[in-house]
Amino acid sequence: MTRDALQEKILAILIEDFEFEKPGLNDNLRDDHGFDSIDAIELLGKIELILGYSLTWEEKEKAMGIRTINDILDYIETIEASRRLKTED
Amino acid sequence: MSNPSTFRFLDFLVTILCWAWFIFGFLFFFSWFYVGAALFAKNQEASFQRLNSRFFQVFFGILRLTAPSHQWEIDEEVAAIRSAVIVCNHISYLDPLLFIALFERHRTLVKGRFFSLPVFGWIIKKSGYFPASGEGRFSRMMIEQMETMKDFLLGGGNLFIFPEGTRSLDGRIGELNQGAMKIARLCKAPIYVLRIAATDKLFSPGKFLFQTRVQQSISLKILKRIEPDYQHHIPSAAALEEQVTEAYGVRQS
Repeated sequence: MTRDALQEKILAILIEDFEFEKPGLNDNLRDDHGFDSIDAIELLGKIELILGYSLTWEEKEKAMGIRTINDILDYIETIEASRRLKTED
Repeated sequence: MSNPSTFRFLDFLVTILCWAWFIFGFLFFFSWFYVGAALFAKNQEASFQRLNSRFFQVFFGILRLTAPSHQWEIDEEVAAIRSAVIVCNHISYLDPLLFIALFERHRTLVKGRFFSLPVFGWIIKKSGYFPASGEGRFSRMMIEQMETMKDFLLGGGNLFIFPEGTRSLDGRIGELNQGAMKIARLCKAPIYVLRIAATDKLFSPGKFLFQTRVQQSISLKILKRIEPDYQHHIPSAAALEEQVTEAYGVRQS
């Protein structure tokens, strides 16, 4: 999945499910949109649906440090890349 | 017996008795059960919660006996609540203890710093309580608790939260944190909005002594039950917060 397509999906989720108004890619999720740890856990469930597989504990724990939408996109891309590497091995 | 210094002496005695229960009741009676639960219980979390509940039932039994001028009016429906997220206003340190005594199966949010305390930190962790923030070293604990929350609630447990986050010093409802509403939404659970009154007259913020001779009623009532039709529409946390705020009769800014 390209970054643009991923961005579109994540923005749609944040607007529809988390009621974000005009989200910016570098907005601070907590300060600008009241996005907290519980939201992050709900979002993880939706990311698993996008990816089509379950995340490991380590991957989930890393998500708790996410601060911006760009961080979310980087996070998903990193997971996809590491999974791809594992399957190639 | 109406001498103020006599009152203060009686307050002092009751306070000492309560602290004695906290320390010696735990050390001599309950600690063995906690160790047993940690070593042998199949469901450690449920066993710890049950022990906590029993411990505070005795505590409130002592308070009722030694402070008889306080009447307790707790709706029967409150103790019958199951499988719900319970939100309540917060006016005294006694509030969470009363909820623990009332509900055998319960989880709640606890300030992160308490998890570092010896013994107490171990007990609250084993009891399935979790920190308000899931950052840093609490990430895994928060994720684990949230991932099992839906089943915990479906199994009859209650999650109680004081959404103001801290005690109100003037009795007015403060700004609400949406955490409880977010969890209810995530787990598709009903929300009970409760109002507690006058526990601050028995144990006032900033005071060391229980005020045992004040004649008044401590009450706990259900103000509203919010059960969204999650099948057809999942409301936002903000919409749920609005309903909770309305139940408390607080005008939103």
